[in-house]
Amino acid sequence: MWKFLRTVLLVDLIQGLWVTFRYQQPKYIYTEQYPAQRPQVAERYRGAPRLNIHPESGQTLCIACDLCALICPENLIVVTSERNEQTRRKELTTFTYDTSRCMFCGLCEDACPVDALELTQDFELASYTREGAIWDRQMLEEGPLPKQYVR
Amino acid sequence: MNAVLDFPYLKPVLITLVIILVFPLVVGYIVLAERKVLADYQVRLGPMRVGPYGFLQPLADAVKLLIKEDIIPTASDRWIFWLAPVLSTVTGLTAFAVLPLSEWIYIADVNIGLLFILALSSVGILGLILGGWASNSHYSLLGALRSAAQMVSYEVAMGFALVSGLMVAGTLSMQGMVAAQQRLQIWFAFSNYGLMMIPFAVYAISAVAETNRAPFDLPEAESELVAGFHTEYSGFRWSLYMLAEYANMFVVSSIAVTLFLGGWLRPFPSVAWLAWLNFVVPAALFFLIGAGCAVGVKRYSDHRVFGGIMIVLTGAMFAAGASFLLPPVNARIIGLFWFLLKVAVILYCYIWYRGTFPRFRYDQLMRIGWRYMIPIAMGALIVNGFVMLWGQGGERVQ
Repeated sequence: MWKFLRTVLLVDLIQGLWVTFRYQQPKYIYTEQYPAQRPQVAERYRGAPRLNIHPESGQTLCIACDLCALICPENLIVVTSERNEQTRRKELTTFTYDTSRCMFCGLCEDACPVDALELTQDFELASYTREGAIWDRQMLEEGPLPKQYVR
Repeated sequence: MNAVLDFPYLKPVLITLVIILVFPLVVGYIVLAERKVLADYQVRLGPMRVGPYGFLQPLADAVKLLIKEDIIPTASDRWIFWLAPVLSTVTGLTAFAVLPLSEWIYIADVNIGLLFILALSSVGILGLILGGWASNSHYSLLGALRSAAQMVSYEVAMGFALVSGLMVAGTLSMQGMVAAQQRLQIWFAFSNYGLMMIPFAVYAISAVAETNRAPFDLPEAESELVAGFHTEYSGFRWSLYMLAEYANMFVVSSIAVTLFLGGWLRPFPSVAWLAWLNFVVPAALFFLIGAGCAVGVKRYSDHRVFGGIMIVLTGAMFAAGASFLLPPVNARIIGLFWFLLKVAVILYCYIWYRGTFPRFRYDQLMRIGWRYMIPIAMGALIVNGFVMLWGQGGERVQ
């Protein structure tokens, strides 16, 4: 009898309608308007790599120790250096980082003894060519500069 | 000049022109409202990029549809392919001729008004069937066959539900129905000690099926039939089908409003001290929408065009609300307001059903139609008839 009444009075259908009605509240809206509003990624997110430079002198922090290239499971970091005869120190010449093969494990930033290499929270790594995914020293120092489509 | 003003068909011709010119735009905004409301149900935003909050999306859609390449499949029957959407649209829009939009805003008040609309909606089905057949495509043909079977089935239930209403109203004239509700001082949905709720419910359900809307949108079930009867249509012809669908929705909702929900009468039309509803409800509604637009003005304050549009909208909403507070203006347009408000509520329900219920299987659809809807409608007709006899005729119905 109870079941019959439920069917006749369309109780289940009305419950369903109530569920959808409640979801209209704007606070539930989940959509991000991506290029206009950038999403907040988590603090521990590992994204685009960056070679840090000294904030005052503008010189690179990298000492070209090659530890990051050695620890990288994908062997995607290539560091070349040159010995400066005057200061008798190794100086960084080129640093390439192939982001297309990177799995963002973060071992390189752990291995770095001077906190020069860092995986940042930038996530816009797309590129039109495979070559574009291989970042050189300048690109690593500047970080990705995504185009702004919206004023 | 006087000769023009004395022309007896001046008002009908003017109203016809206004409806034909304005209704495509209205359909555009119903579609926008549908997309926005569905987006809300699905915790999305919906159109947001064309105009503030997607407000100009219908215009962009219209331009896109109008400049699209007009494709007629080579294997199709060209003349019928051309005729079918025209037939659907013409019948859909002709039905507006007898809708009582207000006490004085109507094109014609014929004594067979409801019959006229039902006849036109039956011819409208022909547009769908011809379109599906002329496309010479399996999907279209299947969609057309389904729509024919579905509409014929549900028209029976809808007819019986309407007969119950006609019994209480005692007239087929659309204006006459509203007049009867004014005279008997009750909306017919609550008439006969509440028993008229049954035919009203049957009508509400079969109206959804009649207009091919979800959950009864079997004729255009996209997961099975691509797009059903309009699979092969594109551009302007497709938009004609769309226009016809929304015109039918509007007409069917208008019948529900006219016959069951008091037409252009305010709620509780017989209670004199509730006359303030005529002023407070429209003013409050428009002021509320205006306040919402004002929030948009703030949001788009750094964008010159969008901000300007929002300012104009806000101004228009507050002006509309204020105009309802002037007694002479109010007296002229309050009927239209109540009618359109009720139709809008029913159209919202259409979207609500679409956002909630999954589509029926075809055998379920037929079973609901033939085994539940039609017997319930016939039973309700008999019961309501006996109740009216017992209450000694339609004139003294509680």
